[in-house]
Amino acid sequence: MTDTLSRTFSALADPTRRAILARLSAGEATVNELAEPFPMSLPAVSRHLKVLEEAGLITRGRTRQWRPCRLEAKPLEGVADWVATYRRFWDGGFDRLEEHLRTLTGGPGDA
Amino acid sequence: MPDLTITRVFDAPRELVFAAWTEPEQLASWLGPHGYTGSAVTLATRPGGAWRACIRSPEGDEHWMHGVYREIAAPERLVFTFAWDTEGDLRTETLVTVGFADLDGKTEMTFVQTGFPTAADRDGHDAGWTASFEDLTGFIRGKDAR
Repeated sequence: MTDTLSRTFSALADPTRRAILARLSAGEATVNELAEPFPMSLPAVSRHLKVLEEAGLITRGRTRQWRPCRLEAKPLEGVADWVATYRRFWDGGFDRLEEHLRTLTGGPGDA
Repeated sequence: MPDLTITRVFDAPRELVFAAWTEPEQLASWLGPHGYTGSAVTLATRPGGAWRACIRSPEGDEHWMHGVYREIAAPERLVFTFAWDTEGDLRTETLVTVGFADLDGKTEMTFVQTGFPTAADRDGHDAGWTASFEDLTGFIRGKDAR
């Protein structure tokens, strides 16, 4: 079984790859455009793109010669859902904390 | 968005809010999602002291959690590690920092949980991480809104 979340986190565990994704969140870009802000060779950027592609975080055009890269958000939704589990845990607790404090202060509260 | 930040304003002085985090019976009364009940809680509220708590789901499933206090500065700041006892999706140890700011008698509580998914990953965090994910989170929201 492929652990998608692990693969996504693994792909995200590199600042260059995260920067590439951030750049792609603004729109498609070619490898040359993506390589511009980084002090590294095109092959190195290509290797990062390969990791992102294998993790399903980007897709690359097949039809055009320059094969623009495009961000695929689906795996990131898995990351967001994973973190959201923590949010549900704490948010629910904080609602109850609010109730609890209201009983302590005896005030009407602000809700 | 591996860093989780939640900000809440409570209509109570921060001494009360701080105590709700650090006194066992109080923490047990609110910890966990809606419908859950907190049970046995031990809190050694001193730096290096351990804490342990349990929440029970409406179906009766118990989920134990534990950690160690790193910093206790009543009533301003509380820092502790957080981990679930059981294996599963939430098995990672994370770091929780809770700040309490006075707003004319009300309390602004800022909750930050970091360290997803591993300590190594947390140590590797940099400014680009946050900035990147802000962009990406916005992007995902945009997709949701379609």
